[in-house]
Amino acid sequence: MNAQENYEKIQTGDVVEGRPFTVTTDTIQDFGDASLDYNPLHFDPNWMEKNDFGGTSFNGVIMHGMQNFALITRTLTDWLVPRGGYHRRLETRWIKPVKLGDTITPEAKVIRKNPTDGGLWVQFDIIVKNQQGEPVATGQALAEFRDTIPA
Amino acid sequence: MNVMGENFETDFWKEVNDRATWDMIVPGELRETRPVTLTKQIIQDFARKVGEDNPLYFDEDYAKSTPYGGIVAPPSIHILLMFACTTSKDWMRSPGTINAGQNWYYNAPIRPDDTITMRGTALDKFIKKDRLFAVHENLFTNQHGQVVCTGRGQTIRPV
Repeated sequence: MNAQENYEKIQTGDVVEGRPFTVTTDTIQDFGDASLDYNPLHFDPNWMEKNDFGGTSFNGVIMHGMQNFALITRTLTDWLVPRGGYHRRLETRWIKPVKLGDTITPEAKVIRKNPTDGGLWVQFDIIVKNQQGEPVATGQALAEFRDTIPA
Repeated sequence: MNVMGENFETDFWKEVNDRATWDMIVPGELRETRPVTLTKQIIQDFARKVGEDNPLYFDEDYAKSTPYGGIVAPPSIHILLMFACTTSKDWMRSPGTINAGQNWYYNAPIRPDDTITMRGTALDKFIKKDRLFAVHENLFTNQHGQVVCTGRGQTIRPV
């Protein structure tokens, strides 16, 4: 199937459900070992207890914000690759810190299709929610449908 | 063990006084960086540890059957590159640095054994309420001089 045919199968309103992810000291360690980000924000509960960040106390370690980014990326690429889409852009904002024991789930929704002179583009709205249904991260993404991968 | 091996300094309190504070950050000045070669092992360790399990990153036969033509790195590998390509004196390692969000554009995929070079600056800095912010801007290129991805983000600087 060519890019045009793949593109036509994508519908505005399509929803991509990500897999739930539960934050533990092991997942934080793994993310630190993957990212090389060993900021004590994520590893030192004693420091986090006594440190108030200009008035914001977190009461314990928090998940790396970029773990959200990686889970959103996984959600998008796992959906796009078999559909012939290429993940082009991701913009994120962190809304709320994620703590040990929280379970977060990303969701992407196709909000618009934009064919341009040179490409076939799809816009997504992104939200990551915790187990209470509260948003912890939001964002936008862009995918391109192409016959070849940029080399 | 981290994906780059035991030489990486994981204690971010060491050299804390050698890192630029918000006051010392000069927008536009280049950060010190070094090229990093991403072996298949590093790419796959990274992928596993951030929760990626797509066969595109692990199964050469599957990857060859896709338009990618072989194993690639997950697009989010810049999360690793931001620390792998900078030095232990880089201000992004200052304890208490809080990431506020990022945006990234992906040009070409990274493949095993690519050597990636980073160009990074603080593009801007500002104060909002009582918080000190820095805006960072990164450009990653491969050994062919081709842009692989570009990104921008904001961090709240520790006081």
